[in-house]
Amino acid sequence: MSLRSIRSIPSSNLTKLMTRRILTRGSCIACCVLISSLSAGQDLLPPETSIATTIDHYVDARLQEENVEAAPSIDDAAFLRRLSLDLNGRIPTRQELNNFLAMDTATRRQDAIEAFLSQVDFVFHQANEIDLLLLARIREDREWREFLLQAVKDRTSWSNLFTQIMLPEVTHPGETAPGAYLRERVRELDDLTNDTAVLFFGVNISCAKCHDHPLVPDWEQDHYFGMASFFKRTYQTKSKLLAEHFTGDVKFTNVVGEEKQAAFMFLNGQAAEEPKIELSDEKRKNLDEAIQKAKKEDDAKAPEVEFSPREELVRLALEGDSHDFFARNIVNRIWARLIGRGLVTPLDQMHSDNPPSHPALLDWLTRDLKQHDYDLKRLIAGIVGSEVYARSCRWESESAVPEPSLFAVGVVRPLNPRQLALSLQIASTSGDRLPGLDKGEDWEKQRADLENRAARFANQFPIPEDGFQVGTDEALFFSNSQQFEGEFLRTSDDRLVGELKKIEDSVELIQTLVSTVYSRSAQEEEQQAMRTYLESATDDASREDKIQQLVWALLASPEFRFNH
Amino acid sequence: MPRSTANSNRAQHCGAEAHHLSRRSFLGTVGMGTAGVAANMGVIETLTSPVFADELKRNQKSVVLLWLAGGASQLETWDPKPGVETGGPYSAIQTDISGVRISELMPKMSQRLSQHTAIIRSLNTKIADHGGGYQLMDTGRRPEPGVDFPHLGAMIAHELAQQDSKVPDHIEMYTSTEGRRKGTAGFLPARYNPMFLTDSMMPENISRLDSISDADHKQRADFRAMLAQQFNHGLNSPSVSSHNSAFERVRGLMSSDYLFDVEKEPQSMRDHYGPTQFGEQCLIARRLVEAGVPFVKVARAWWDSHGQNFETHRELCADLDHVMSALLDDLQQRGLLDTTLVITLGEFGRTPRINGSLGRDHFASAWSCSLSGCGIKPGTVYGKTDDLGNTVVEGEANAGNLFATIFTALGIDPEKEYMLGSRPVPMADFHCPPIAEVLS
Repeated sequence: MSLRSIRSIPSSNLTKLMTRRILTRGSCIACCVLISSLSAGQDLLPPETSIATTIDHYVDARLQEENVEAAPSIDDAAFLRRLSLDLNGRIPTRQELNNFLAMDTATRRQDAIEAFLSQVDFVFHQANEIDLLLLARIREDREWREFLLQAVKDRTSWSNLFTQIMLPEVTHPGETAPGAYLRERVRELDDLTNDTAVLFFGVNISCAKCHDHPLVPDWEQDHYFGMASFFKRTYQTKSKLLAEHFTGDVKFTNVVGEEKQAAFMFLNGQAAEEPKIELSDEKRKNLDEAIQKAKKEDDAKAPEVEFSPREELVRLALEGDSHDFFARNIVNRIWARLIGRGLVTPLDQMHSDNPPSHPALLDWLTRDLKQHDYDLKRLIAGIVGSEVYARSCRWESESAVPEPSLFAVGVVRPLNPRQLALSLQIASTSGDRLPGLDKGEDWEKQRADLENRAARFANQFPIPEDGFQVGTDEALFFSNSQQFEGEFLRTSDDRLVGELKKIEDSVELIQTLVSTVYSRSAQEEEQQAMRTYLESATDDASREDKIQQLVWALLASPEFRFNH
Repeated sequence: MPRSTANSNRAQHCGAEAHHLSRRSFLGTVGMGTAGVAANMGVIETLTSPVFADELKRNQKSVVLLWLAGGASQLETWDPKPGVETGGPYSAIQTDISGVRISELMPKMSQRLSQHTAIIRSLNTKIADHGGGYQLMDTGRRPEPGVDFPHLGAMIAHELAQQDSKVPDHIEMYTSTEGRRKGTAGFLPARYNPMFLTDSMMPENISRLDSISDADHKQRADFRAMLAQQFNHGLNSPSVSSHNSAFERVRGLMSSDYLFDVEKEPQSMRDHYGPTQFGEQCLIARRLVEAGVPFVKVARAWWDSHGQNFETHRELCADLDHVMSALLDDLQQRGLLDTTLVITLGEFGRTPRINGSLGRDHFASAWSCSLSGCGIKPGTVYGKTDDLGNTVVEGEANAGNLFATIFTALGIDPEKEYMLGSRPVPMADFHCPPIAEVLS
């Protein structure tokens, strides 16, 4: 069985396969494991426990220890909005909100979770999130996005997807799509090394490049250059495919000036050994020429190599104890995305001096993920079913705000560019243009259209990072941009403003407005204020202006801008 | 006659009496309320008195960074070596500092050094590619993957901007496409990102659309603010707060659009700066610092003369010489130079060796920059290069030293630390003291 059929291989078999290949080439060097993956002597909840129950169990345990009472759960409408943003990547439509509120109160949250997970919106949003994680830019790369969409549709495991992204020339020979991650960084070895460590393993080892990490005893120069050595031989051909040289090692100088050659060493100290292959001068010359040709000519194929450092990286990352960097990282990142703060924070500082806030929980979720073949959808479903997920972001009690690591209060999260652009589209569209939870067959097409229209605006917004701050150019864009006004405040029939101006009754108008943009019903006080604003209009034309201004005020408010 | 009026009359003629009008007494008068102000017409007069108005302005410091994009040649500007094999065809001229000569291509500046300017001739910054050089000279330190260091403009804006300022904090003008890069706030709050002007001298989205009246624009903004305030209760989110801050600044930013309109200046002033785009942009820069903008960067491209170095520099230096002199004169005349630091800087310098295309290539081992105005001791030249200009022989300075010097000149402690999580990040890089010799 070749690596080419990797797409359909479950990860456990994948590991066996890789091991078999490697064993035929020679044994690997086992170095001492620096990080223990399981908290020593910890009894975890049994694996049959549901994810949601487990989360609530461990978080509540710590809350009790600290004698802190958690914030209450948000109400159903607020839950729907939060869930929709997190699973669908957009606010709910007015129809969806109405349908939801008509469902059986006892089960509707769980019903909504199941419904959303089975929809095409989930596929789009999940693909967008992976794109954002790995490439961190809003740019149209159609074939890469289609590759991701298909992977999510197929429910490809994270380990499998990692393998495809790291070894595109093996898993998808001749196809450029999966190579986007490597291509983005192939010119800069440092970026390729550090980004991979950060995004796939949760460790930022860049400090360790110049000297053993000053603060973290786990990270030494050997680790940095060990990781770099897996990528050193990677190059890009003229036809944008990835390949590897047959030689090339990383050498570095340590702080006392000694020159050392890096081993192909993974973060846990395990290394791969390259078998000694004698190449005749002629063979060497031919290979060199073939590589040069591949770099210069469109049709020239890159020669295959006997020993592939990147293959070794994938093998080491997915096998045995080292699984845990890989698994723990993605658990932590998915948790952080949905809850607003990692179990380990910052997300790229997973090392022994920076323990998780809930070690047993992280261990349990990691074990669960591995046992279920790195199925991210299952993990996501479990997290959003917990009480922790549904917690209010408001702290109304008189006691001091609890420490964030307790997860006693929800975290307000900014929408990312695509979420914001899609939500602006939905919020400003007339209600009858967008179907409800009962999707028609052409919703996939509609969603794809929305994505395309949103892409124009997504470029305007920054990708939020830790400590996100809104800049004045965003405020100016909302306030004075022709583009914004033309798209979202239009008075035509297909737009919310157009729909609202046909509603004579102020109260009904305001309810429609608030439920469309804020996905909830209007409260007494704001009803009053909006009525006053609306009714200050002197004639029809002026009333239309007032409607536009109200729509603007809601779209430009923080309640719309954030996931809360 | 009320005492303050008498004083303000004297203030028209000489500065001495006006200094007796302490800030405290002025503020005390204002605190009396409208009745007090109306009765005390002298207060209103003092506001229009140029010297007294200066008293207030003097608290706001600013930086104008003249960015010589592409890397200007130190041999054709501040550190000429005529008569040797690396010297090129231009000669050096005597400046108004005894024993100091600069390139003949900068005659106007040669007569202003002793009044305003310090030259540093001993930069050795090692990084000689455009991207790396820009990164180094705009952040003051080597980059690190995983850390987003703030650029100079953002740091200056962060330190010097007034919290509720109606004017922008950080403006960068970069009209050419060559070497165009934006200085970001990095890990500092996004409000310190620059207003980045490229195609037009007028910032984007700063004007109200015709489709809405001023009254409505304001009314809907107020309504938005009310909704935002209601939403905010019980949340402890700096991100949400930043959203409100950004919108609160919109009206103020919109009302500062006139600052970018060079046509508001009399023709004589426009002629003083000259007809070039660089001249116009520097005139706008003066308007901006006069209004209290803490940091303005004006990029002049493209100094990257790998070929035809001498022709290129003849043209570019003429522009720089004229415009820089005009700017310094103008700032001084308005009493702004004491509180404005004007910097000339680029990614690196140029090789002493002249290549086959009569060009000079990238060179970061021995090059120059200049500092004028606020906190600077004019008429000083710091550092020496060897006879050919290949190495620094005295006073070697790096980007960190330069940044430390800039901060100290502005009254900012270069060792002050930002905390990135638990990691301290000093304003100027570790172990990089300021160059005391150029500081007043």
